[in-house]
Amino acid sequence: MATRENFWRFALLAAPVSVFAVFVLWPMFDSFRYSLTDWNGFDDSPRFVGLENFRRIFTDPLFFNSLINTAIWMGAALAVPTIGGLALALLLDSRVRGARIFKSIFYLPICLASVVVGQIWIWIFQPDWGLLNEAIRSAGHLSPKQFHWAWLAEPRTALACVILAWSWQQTGLNMVIFLAGLTSIPSELLEAAAIDNVPDWKKTLYIVLPMLRPATAVAVALSMIGALKTFDILYIMTGGGPFHSSDTLALFMYNESFQKYKMGYGSSISVVLFLICVVIIVAYFRQVGKLGEIYD
Amino acid sequence: MTDASQRAAPSGSPLRRAAIFVALVVLAGLFLAPTVGVIFSAFKTTRDISLGELWSIPSRLFLGNFAVVLEKPEIYVYLRNTFIVAISASLLSITLGSLAGYVFAKLPFFGSELLFLLFVSGLFFPPQIVLIPLFKMFNGMGLIDTLWALIIVHTAMGIPICTLLMRNFLISVPDALRESALVEGVSEWRILLFVVLPISLPALAVLATLQFTWIWNDFLWPLIMVQSDEKRTVMLGLVFLRGQYSVAWGIQGALALLASLPTLLVFLFFQRYFISGMTMGAVKG
Repeated sequence: MATRENFWRFALLAAPVSVFAVFVLWPMFDSFRYSLTDWNGFDDSPRFVGLENFRRIFTDPLFFNSLINTAIWMGAALAVPTIGGLALALLLDSRVRGARIFKSIFYLPICLASVVVGQIWIWIFQPDWGLLNEAIRSAGHLSPKQFHWAWLAEPRTALACVILAWSWQQTGLNMVIFLAGLTSIPSELLEAAAIDNVPDWKKTLYIVLPMLRPATAVAVALSMIGALKTFDILYIMTGGGPFHSSDTLALFMYNESFQKYKMGYGSSISVVLFLICVVIIVAYFRQVGKLGEIYD
Repeated sequence: MTDASQRAAPSGSPLRRAAIFVALVVLAGLFLAPTVGVIFSAFKTTRDISLGELWSIPSRLFLGNFAVVLEKPEIYVYLRNTFIVAISASLLSITLGSLAGYVFAKLPFFGSELLFLLFVSGLFFPPQIVLIPLFKMFNGMGLIDTLWALIIVHTAMGIPICTLLMRNFLISVPDALRESALVEGVSEWRILLFVVLPISLPALAVLATLQFTWIWNDFLWPLIMVQSDEKRTVMLGLVFLRGQYSVAWGIQGALALLASLPTLLVFLFFQRYFISGMTMGAVKG
């Protein structure tokens, strides 16, 4: 019996394990090897340079610039869609008419490609006829000459604009997670509060929000992973510019490796990115683990 | 508790409900504006758009943009490439993920939890980490600039989510089903095909919608792996053609709409699967 089961375990796992090992796991470790070379993308035999790439990274102001931008991106791209999704879920939970249509509208952007989302928002921030400038002009009775802000071409506003576009796309996902969390709150709890005449805002603050902690943990985890991976929308909307003002590690790594063909240096950036991911993931799961101990 | 009082319980006073409804209408309008803008643009002339007419309802349906777009032969090549990659990589990753998920759920062994965690950890890391090694590997295999590279990459990258969802789904299926078949002498392979596969159809539908949408929309991998025009996917082609029509806004809008049509249709018809897939792995895991 046991050998028969072992045969099937082996037979069924052989294909998925080998594909995963060859095309995901092995390349992860291979990155470390390339990070110790000066490979330019064309040579057959990359030269071993030891830790030279890492010494250069920690003296490269562009690296620290993209590190800071990554931190800003993660903080904002995590907070805005999570808070927005929670707000939408709480509004929708009061069972208004047409809740299903509202949900679909808020959720629609998630199925659009980042390439398309980027294009849409480039048009919103377009200086001549973009929606944002048009709205500001009509609100302040200004002419196009008086107000002509090029949102994506300004180092001060470029990153914030991409964060806004990203949040627009991601909020619906968090809304769905919070809505799922809301349905798991026992209705007896809210009914008991209603009988005691507890005002609505107190119910939300002291009953609903604490009960949403597991859903919040999920929303935060998903947003965090999504934020770390973001590449497409930044590439489309700003390409990291102007003057590297919206460069994140993912983008910086791509530009160094596939634009400048410094693949050895690019590998060392991806190793740093890998280590940052490990730290964040471990820290997060330790935190959530504690949460589970308290609430179970 | 009567049905009426349960429904009324979380809603509060009529005034409050009206205020919430108005707030939702305003927010929905703001959320829709960007998408609607692109749809409008596809039906307007570039001249109208640059005069600031993009954000109003078109007074007439201008179809010239679509005429230009549909006359370009490369559009059909991009669409065909993307369909080939998205459909075959979705099928392959779902098949491989189901096999692994089945073993993790129904045939656990010493160390299988650890192997499962290793699979799932693939979800957490940005693709940048494997970009260079995979580029080098495919270069050595002579697969750069072929659709094979994209099919293989998307299959491999899809294994973690497919394994996670299938394992979580199959764990909720009672063991008795499999065991009674085993007692009757049915082989594992036939159980998988004739018992497990039919009851897994909802989960497979969820994965199919998710994987198809993600692979269709992907931009990074084609950007790395594809060089020639006849191997471009829709999203890569969209960015390339945008350079060609840099101020022809209407044509860009028509292109974006055409490129989004398949995933928008998937969303319209399979929205339920899409949403449950997004929350299922997360909430149950």
